[in-house]
Amino acid sequence: MAHALVTMAGICKQFGAVVANADVDLEIRAGEVLALLGENGAGKSTLMKVLYGFYQADAGEIRIDGKPIAFASPREAMGSGIGMVFQHFSLVPALSVWENLLAAFPDAPWLQGRSSTRVQAALRWLRRLAPSLDSARPVRELAVGERQLVELAKVLNLNARIVILDEPTSVLTPAETERLYGFIRSLIAEGKAVVLITHKLADVVACADRIVVMRGGRVVDHAQARERTPEQLVNAMVGRERGSSIGAPAPVTAAAPVLQVRGVSATAHGAHIRNISFEIAAGEILGIAGVSGNGQYTLAEALAGLIPVTAGDIVLGGVSIASRFQDGAIPDDVAYVPERPLDNAVVADLDLGLNLALRKMRKLSLFPQRRAITARAEALIARFDVRPPRPALPAAALSGGNLQKLVIARELSDTHRLVIASYPTMGLDVLAAQAVYRTLFEQAASGACVVWISEELDDLLAYAHRIAAIYGGSFAGIVRREDASRQMIGRWMAGMDREAAA
Amino acid sequence: MNGRLVQRSLYAAGGAALFLALASAFLLAIGHSPFVTLATMAGYAFGDTYSISESLVKATPILLCALAVILPARLGLITVGGEGQLYLGALLGTAVVVNYPGAQMFALLPAMLVLGAAGGAIWSALAGVLRARFDVNETISTLLLNYIAVLLVNYAVYGAWKDPASLGWPATIQFPPAATVPSLMGTRVHCGFIVALIAAVVLHVAVTHTRWGLGLRVLSGNRKVGTMVGLRFARNTLIVMALGGALAGFAGICETSAIQGRLQSGLSVGYGLTGFLVAWLSGQNFLRAVPIAILIGGLISAGDALQLYSKIPSASATILQGMLFIAALAASGLSTRRETRRG
Repeated sequence: MAHALVTMAGICKQFGAVVANADVDLEIRAGEVLALLGENGAGKSTLMKVLYGFYQADAGEIRIDGKPIAFASPREAMGSGIGMVFQHFSLVPALSVWENLLAAFPDAPWLQGRSSTRVQAALRWLRRLAPSLDSARPVRELAVGERQLVELAKVLNLNARIVILDEPTSVLTPAETERLYGFIRSLIAEGKAVVLITHKLADVVACADRIVVMRGGRVVDHAQARERTPEQLVNAMVGRERGSSIGAPAPVTAAAPVLQVRGVSATAHGAHIRNISFEIAAGEILGIAGVSGNGQYTLAEALAGLIPVTAGDIVLGGVSIASRFQDGAIPDDVAYVPERPLDNAVVADLDLGLNLALRKMRKLSLFPQRRAITARAEALIARFDVRPPRPALPAAALSGGNLQKLVIARELSDTHRLVIASYPTMGLDVLAAQAVYRTLFEQAASGACVVWISEELDDLLAYAHRIAAIYGGSFAGIVRREDASRQMIGRWMAGMDREAAA
Repeated sequence: MNGRLVQRSLYAAGGAALFLALASAFLLAIGHSPFVTLATMAGYAFGDTYSISESLVKATPILLCALAVILPARLGLITVGGEGQLYLGALLGTAVVVNYPGAQMFALLPAMLVLGAAGGAIWSALAGVLRARFDVNETISTLLLNYIAVLLVNYAVYGAWKDPASLGWPATIQFPPAATVPSLMGTRVHCGFIVALIAAVVLHVAVTHTRWGLGLRVLSGNRKVGTMVGLRFARNTLIVMALGGALAGFAGICETSAIQGRLQSGLSVGYGLTGFLVAWLSGQNFLRAVPIAILIGGLISAGDALQLYSKIPSASATILQGMLFIAALAASGLSTRRETRRG
């Protein structure tokens, strides 16, 4: 029987008024995969960062091998055999893989050649994880999935007995995910403990032994993996809140397509889309499912008119967007909520008021009236619940979720002909996400075509009129919500299947 | 807000103390009394009407070159081309005078000034085009264009434009009165100083209160988002580079016409670079650049006077100027760091 390596008891952690962890008990056992399941903001990452010494608990006790400890820093936690792979990696992009691994290798001397035995030792785990990865390549050339493996090798090099993985599969392709699952099983076989922080049921089904479900900072369920059905886990994860569903979108009445995408190909930042075609009627919401990195960004930028199409055409209300492409400016009748808003949608050092006025830049008077800009900002900030509600604050001061709300406030407060929303609920809690969906419904009701890119399959199945799946830069299939199933779209997303030729 | 002002004043005082300490150490080392020398310098810089006017004479090209750095900096561009733009302005402006020395003032003077400004604008816009179209680093290109401009002026004054009457001295003919920028109230201070002050105020209003200035902030903060909302990075790059260059070119032709009276090699004693430093000391702020440029102008003109009357080499003034920059940059660096740390 597996013994407890780590016991956490009564852990509490607050950030200001926000309770991240409330009286959490947790046990991590050797030779076992513990899935820490919960929605964004449920407190999973915070709990593990407390264990890792990144945060200090406000109350509660942590014992390792039965001895109480209090880590002041991740360095101390590493010394006790705890390793964590974060969603954001800490690799030096300009250095090669082996240089990165060596830099973090214990007791690495300041100078050594690349043939030394130490280099070989530093590469030992990576060889097992990714036998085909050339360790001389600079990290900046690696795909996200490969970087994650390097990061994992780095953690294992530190003789970690307890490996914590924070949402590891969110950046991986299906094949990479399968390989990671297999590797996790082999770590377990060696007697290590693995904690898998995730909000995906697929991860749990594939490789968890034991499950702890968190919601609102508390543990709400705790069981062996085989004792729970996916439905039970979903209910535990989301609680009753999702019971107050916002319903389905109003049925589409218009028949004629307003947006016609015909055989479009385009390239943005090395990611391609190929020969994508679809049509959307006024008032229709098309959900686009897919593992991120399969061309969603390129598709969204092309639809918004920010990048030129290399083939095909995009026609909106009878006018070709592609042919009136002008140096990456967005047409006035298109609203765009891009992914990574800090890079793609706001000016970080400009205040909220000006950020909210950006889309109307060219319509401002020669001497813009600050009072009018601020008044408009205050109204939008209140309506879309951006916090803190201070128009004079720079956008950089907002959290990810509030930045998302800020961009949605700017883009979706007017009516448009085409609305493109990429991961619009990223970083939002359930209620805030529902408010966003309601806004999308309103846009559709006012006659907009809505393209909604998301990874939340359940939400897509509930709120989109039709759902397409994108894989490897092209559509694997497109289906009406009534005819869609999780399995069908899941297979399309994974590239295992394509829509049967109609 | 008030606390922050006090904080900043404290750092400014600290910077001044650091400068005084460095300057005293230096003056003691070369065998002069720090107190007497510094007091004498203050007198030479701003002690009487004549001293003040000489200080403003030096401050004029420095201020114009500083404005030529600050405007592109508002779009996130770092140019060090003030010197070259100043030389090319002098060259093109002089071309008018050399070719039409007998023209009437109402035609000659405006033509000379406009061409001078155009010369600087073209020189700067060249770097702007390279940046906007081919993504060539504007700092490097403006730096290299400086050398070309200086050598072009040398080519002209050693060659075709050399005044035969000057007995081999590399200089053009003396500018006729019709091509001399008017001076103010009988001093050597010329109208260029007034133009520089007006330019500083107008540019300040333009970048802080207009839609165009807001556009510059958006583009420099996030070029992708700026482009998305319809702003043109290339066009704005050309505008700020050309406008800035025009100011530096104007400084060049004014210096040639009003102060030196003819175009000669060694026209500028590093006004372009000094302007760059003033721009950075001001925190890329048009209005703050004005007093700083006047202060530096005073230091330079006091250095000239020191050499004449106190037998202290004028290079000492340059050394003191360097110390002043170091002290001021250290103080402002520390104060920004303190503020960012507090979040």
